Amino acid sequence: MTRRWLPVLLVLGLAVAAWNLALFTVPVWMQAMVVQLGDPVRDVREPGLYWKIPFIQQVTYFDRRLLDYDASPKEILTRDKQQLVVDNYSRWRIVDPLQFYRTVRDEQGAQSRLDDIVYSNLRETLGRHTLREIVSEQRDALLREVTKRSDTKAREYGIEVVDVRIKRADLPEKNELNVFNRMRTERERQAKKYRAEGDEEARKIRSTADKEVQILMADARQKAEVIRGDGDAQAARIFAEAYGRDPEFYAFVRTLDAYKRTLATNTTAILSPDSDFLGLLRRIEPRGATP
Amino acid sequence: MPEPQDPWSPRRPQQDPLADIRRLWEDIRARLSDGDGAKGRRPSPFVFAAIALVLWAASGIYIVAPDQRGVVLRFGRVVRETGSGPHYHLPWPIERVLRPSVTAIRKEEVGFRTVDVGPPARYRDVPAEALMLTGDENIVKLDFIVQYKVRADATGTADFLFNAREPEQALRAAAEAAMREVVGRNEINQVLTEGKEVVQVEAQRVLQAILDLYDTGIEVVTLKLQDVDPPDQVSDAFKDVISAQQDRERLINEARGYENDVVPRARGQAAQILNEAEGYAAAKVREATGVAQRFVALQLEYAKAKDVTRRRLYLETMEEILPGMNKIVMDDLSAKQAVPYLPLDPFLPRRAEPAPERPAARADGGR
Repeated sequence: MTRRWLPVLLVLGLAVAAWNLALFTVPVWMQAMVVQLGDPVRDVREPGLYWKIPFIQQVTYFDRRLLDYDASPKEILTRDKQQLVVDNYSRWRIVDPLQFYRTVRDEQGAQSRLDDIVYSNLRETLGRHTLREIVSEQRDALLREVTKRSDTKAREYGIEVVDVRIKRADLPEKNELNVFNRMRTERERQAKKYRAEGDEEARKIRSTADKEVQILMADARQKAEVIRGDGDAQAARIFAEAYGRDPEFYAFVRTLDAYKRTLATNTTAILSPDSDFLGLLRRIEPRGATP
Repeated sequence: MPEPQDPWSPRRPQQDPLADIRRLWEDIRARLSDGDGAKGRRPSPFVFAAIALVLWAASGIYIVAPDQRGVVLRFGRVVRETGSGPHYHLPWPIERVLRPSVTAIRKEEVGFRTVDVGPPARYRDVPAEALMLTGDENIVKLDFIVQYKVRADATGTADFLFNAREPEQALRAAAEAAMREVVGRNEINQVLTEGKEVVQVEAQRVLQAILDLYDTGIEVVTLKLQDVDPPDQVSDAFKDVISAQQDRERLINEARGYENDVVPRARGQAAQILNEAEGYAAAKVREATGVAQRFVALQLEYAKAKDVTRRRLYLETMEEILPGMNKIVMDDLSAKQAVPYLPLDPFLPRRAEPAPERPAARADGGR
């Protein structure tokens, strides 16, 4: 009976043993290294199915993907003596598993090594430039330089540094306050300017209006005086022309007119019987008769 | 009977085949110890093997959902990609399939987080992400979102799966870096006002370039600025600038209003003054003409009979004025003596005018 089962079991057992002991797969996102009795002997960088010697050889896997290294923010002094808090990250990958294994052993070791390499390059490169150059003008070029130099250095550890990038570059808190103050005063200046401009413009408009009004009124008054004078002159001429015909009669008539106007009421007159008006009284009296 | 394998998770059954075999073995052993095949109906082991084989083969059937793409790996190597629908791959451990969702558009928020999608939606600020330096060394608060998906071309899915560990995290960091780079090249006024569009487009371009450099298989669909504001610490000052601008306009408008009020009125007044003057002059001339004509007419008659007219006019005037006057008749001599003793009282209330003839009354002037 046992003999009937034997081939099946044997095949199965061999397959499992081979799978576990002599074969290994490297998936597309991984790479591997074969270690023989503690000594790395070859690396496997392409995905696929591979042989190894059972028991004697062990396989260590490494990630083949792009890895992230996010450094903690650090203060860096720029050439113009500004403190800058730089939060950078790097993208890197393991390109030489054997070298990697020999020098930094695993990803954690690599991270601390990268921290040294990238930070020193970053500090050194940024320190040669001003804040403005770092933030605005040459950011890209500077980071490319840092990437290149870091990469050259990292190759010793079987690492390729693909990209170093400044995620954030901010001012330390106390400098930030200065910036805020500057921004505020700048805005205040602007606001004052706008208000003063408004005042300026308004005053110009108002005073122009006032000036116009004054000129208009003065003009009108001047013209009015001229017109009145003309009228008066014309009237005087007319009077003169008329009265000039007989000045003595004018004086007489005008005097009478004036009497009428001024003496009409509430006046006490002491009349002499010798006056023109009462002259007749005296003349008539002795004769005792009316004319 | 071996348990049916779950065909939808082909990565899991690491131990299952061995367990099945063990169970089979137990079964066989039990049957063997039962006796010497006296029962007769013992199934052939090949039947078991055949069943196991069929089940094993069937475990290669898989379905790709409409939003997914299937990537089949044979011994870790990519051999083919499949679209939605049922498919078959060689069973584990030869082939396996990964089925990431690729059509979905994903979203990352930078500078803020949605706390509650609402409505009403609630957000939380993340100042560390939102505050950034502008080219003129000011600080601006800027929120934006990135919408992205897995690139739809031939290598997109594989790139997304195999080229970067945690591609979403890579995208996030790259987005922040890209936005800061672009904002750093612009001045604050640009960023706050008309430059927004440019910043948006430029940041998307830079971000895509970074992602392509990493070969992440991610395509940025859009990058959209949400809020772009001055930082909270200075926002009052910025608002004040706006209100100062409005103040300026208001002052100017008020002044124009004043101008519009005052100048027409003045024109009216000027016209009024002129008209009054013209009226005055015209009246003067006409009055003078009238008076003159009257005089001329009278004088013409006077010239014809001077004495008579003169006496008549004189007497008529006396007649007219004397009735209203108080009269005292005394001759010149007595007047000279009497006047000093005349009571002044009657003259006091009103001004005494001199008599038509010699003004004897001296009582005028005092009030």
